[in-house]
Amino acid sequence: MSDTAISKDFLQEEVRRYHHFITLALWLAAITGVEIVLIFLPAPTAIILTVLCLLSAIKFFAVILWFMHLIYDHRLLFWLFVTGLALAFATFTALLALFAVERVDTKWFS
Amino acid sequence: MSQVSEPAHAPTSTGIEHKKLIMWLFLASDCMFFGTLISTHLLYRKLYPTGFTDAEGHQRFIQNLFNIELTSFSTFILLMSSFLMALAVSAMHKGQIKSFRRNVLGVIFFGLIFLGCQVFEFTHFFHQGLTIQNSVFGSTFYVLTGTHGTHVAIGVLWLILLYFYSFTGKLGGHVGALDVEVAGLYWHFVDIVWIIIFTAVYLVEYLGPSGFWGTGLPLTK
Repeated sequence: MSDTAISKDFLQEEVRRYHHFITLALWLAAITGVEIVLIFLPAPTAIILTVLCLLSAIKFFAVILWFMHLIYDHRLLFWLFVTGLALAFATFTALLALFAVERVDTKWFS
Repeated sequence: MSQVSEPAHAPTSTGIEHKKLIMWLFLASDCMFFGTLISTHLLYRKLYPTGFTDAEGHQRFIQNLFNIELTSFSTFILLMSSFLMALAVSAMHKGQIKSFRRNVLGVIFFGLIFLGCQVFEFTHFFHQGLTIQNSVFGSTFYVLTGTHGTHVAIGVLWLILLYFYSFTGKLGGHVGALDVEVAGLYWHFVDIVWIIIFTAVYLVEYLGPSGFWGTGLPLTK
């Protein structure tokens, strides 16, 4: 197949993706709206925080899977990115553990 | 994961185009970079919940500083720019250069609006007395959101160059589509980083009557 020749299957797949993108964009906007409403609800902080984290994770993975084509692309790319993500999350967890002490004498940092 | 019959490219040992592989490697490393910046901000926010002291010596509460309407608008703009970028990449795959130009112009426009909002926010914060030097919150906040803003600015510049390059006639075929796809990956990454920042930096400040972190001091509005 030459550079410019595009198969019918490929075009059909692109049209299918196009519709996925529109649906996803609407969902992302709706989820962001829900997040903004959530923070003003008189519910326990722990519950709202958990829901906010979940909604952010949904938005995050929706963008990397569909907009960034990871769901259609080679699996290696997915695992490559997840490795970076896992290392970032591990750094965050390690720092949380390091600073989990109740009384940190902050005068040492100032 | 479904496989799509895409136009052929030069064979590689991984079966993935080098440009795309390198971009994903870069994004994975950038993930760690932003991971440390976000972690640092959250940890120092926990250690120093008192906000900051303005030029008049008043203790200021972070929640009163933020403008959730502006930040929500910026978030919406960035999400929609990501949508337009996906359409621009799709248009290039289909060989529709005019559609690509339309969509990429939209992305550039939205990117500039986002940057404008950030400049406005930074200026407003500065006039409220929050500088990069006068508090730990100021340092971590400006470094984190400033680094993200720099990424957005680089993305906008990259897309402007691609837009003008498309008029030379050299941005076509599989190679051109790959170039646009790689730029698109970078743009989407900037978007997902903001998704995390929006929740971890902005929304948590509104949880509970005095924000998730508390005030540590009596409030002075």
